[in-house]
Amino acid sequence: MSRALLTVDRVSMTFGGLRALDDVSFSVGTGEIVGLIGPNGAGKTTLFNVVSGYCRPTSGRVRLDGKDVTGKRPFDLARLGIGRTFQIVKPFAGLTVLENVTVACLLHHPRRRHARQKAWEILEFTGLADRAHRPASGLTLAGRKRLEIAKALSLTPRLLLLDEVVAGLNPTEADRTIELILDIHRSGVSILIVEHIMRVIMNISDRVVVLNYGAKIAEGPPREVAQDPTVIEAYLGEAAA
Amino acid sequence: MQRSRALWAGIAAGVFAVIPLLTRDTFALRVVTEAMMWIGLAVAWDVLGGYTGYLNFGHGAFFGLGAYTTAVLMMRGHWPFALALVAGGVTAGAAAVVAGLPTLRLKGAYFAIATWALSRAVQQLALVLEFTGGPDGMRLPPFLNPMFFYYLMWALVTAIFVVLWILLERSAFGLKLQAIREDEEGAMALGLRPTAIKVQAFVLSTVPAGILGGVYAYWITFIDPASVLGDLVTDQSVVMAVFGGLGTLVGPAVGAVLIYAFKTFFWAYLSEYQVLYLIILGTVIALSVVFLPDGLIGLMARRRIKEPAEPEPADEDSQGLREVAP
Repeated sequence: MSRALLTVDRVSMTFGGLRALDDVSFSVGTGEIVGLIGPNGAGKTTLFNVVSGYCRPTSGRVRLDGKDVTGKRPFDLARLGIGRTFQIVKPFAGLTVLENVTVACLLHHPRRRHARQKAWEILEFTGLADRAHRPASGLTLAGRKRLEIAKALSLTPRLLLLDEVVAGLNPTEADRTIELILDIHRSGVSILIVEHIMRVIMNISDRVVVLNYGAKIAEGPPREVAQDPTVIEAYLGEAAA
Repeated sequence: MQRSRALWAGIAAGVFAVIPLLTRDTFALRVVTEAMMWIGLAVAWDVLGGYTGYLNFGHGAFFGLGAYTTAVLMMRGHWPFALALVAGGVTAGAAAVVAGLPTLRLKGAYFAIATWALSRAVQQLALVLEFTGGPDGMRLPPFLNPMFFYYLMWALVTAIFVVLWILLERSAFGLKLQAIREDEEGAMALGLRPTAIKVQAFVLSTVPAGILGGVYAYWITFIDPASVLGDLVTDQSVVMAVFGGLGTLVGPAVGAVLIYAFKTFFWAYLSEYQVLYLIILGTVIALSVVFLPDGLIGLMARRRIKEPAEPEPADEDSQGLREVAP
């Protein structure tokens, strides 16, 4: 594994009495795709919120490229190179698709005209150019998930956090999104991806981290993790293991 | 569509510029001067109310702060009008920073309540302080030149409109504001600092109000807590912006002209039915909120709706569902 880009170091997160994350440690190396899986409520989205600055962890540290970024706000992390998508998509509904992406491009291209040019490139790359002038609210679910990726990508991130960008799409749409993710990866972006669809995770991840009840229960190459009795038990119950 | 709106705004500015060449009637000039002031106030209110969704129910406080700052500096400090006017705008903007930093982090009704409370507090302050003249108000040196005030108002309101138009419709700032209005959390992920941007918008909205307040004070030559710090300025600005169409700048300008014309008509020709004015106005507002949520401008152009002309192209291929190799 190459040098760690993201290091999650003994992160815990409690909400009242609920321990949403329990002493979780792992890292994402430069150029890696790491899959994050686990049953519903395992803490995947909470972990995303911690890494992208939406939640400050109760304890533990988050490091980006060796630098401690624990507790930094989302807009600072965006500047430092973390791009994320939201499981519950967040399009700016009243704006057009082009305007949505232009807003994201403003981070590195402060002039609106330049940001707009850059946004067109992103729309071409993500296959949304034909819908550029439509309102974001009028996109299909697949389109809105694609728009999430396009916006995160506009930040020219070093690390991209993808939260269920494939779930809910039909197989063809899913295929295209997977191709897009691989294209992004080839352009040099490291990726941490949460996904329920095992086929996706198993195909594209270099490594997989498994969470259950907030704790990491397994980590390793996809094939090994899939054979791991603890993982099978977590997903299917004790009898299956 | 935006281009045609800018064109219409330019034509309107041209029409306002030549009105004094057509009539020397003092009453008419005075009415049009005040109409232009309301355009400025409604358009400025729209910056925050329309583009960010934060309802400022203390717009009048910033107008009044500008009026009082100008008056106090001219009368007690013997400042020239132009400098005192600038100070009025600066005071209003500074007050917005102080009021906005804690309150613009809040969502929902809290900002509206806080700004309303601020306006009451500022009014009480003007009532009890010595140097503001308390309930007696302040009298300014009369400068009875209707043409001066007409063209000063014209120039200021035109400048306010042009600056706001460029910042909100042409520059990055307006896009950021709209993104924050649509989804603040999503905007943060893209590197936007919502509170800082909203405070900037608040300043952009209140500085014009302060400047217009300063002009009003010198023009009318008398201000007191009831006239410049009462509810009227806020209420009318809000109603004009909502009726005209929020978040469009042009809409509030149109709303300002129509509502002010309606009000003046009542005041001039139907003064014995004065009581009906507020009833009719209230009914019109209630109906427009229900039936014209995008305001009058929404009837003419559908900018915020932007319905697709044809159905969304499907994302899937026509060959149908092919399963991926595992």
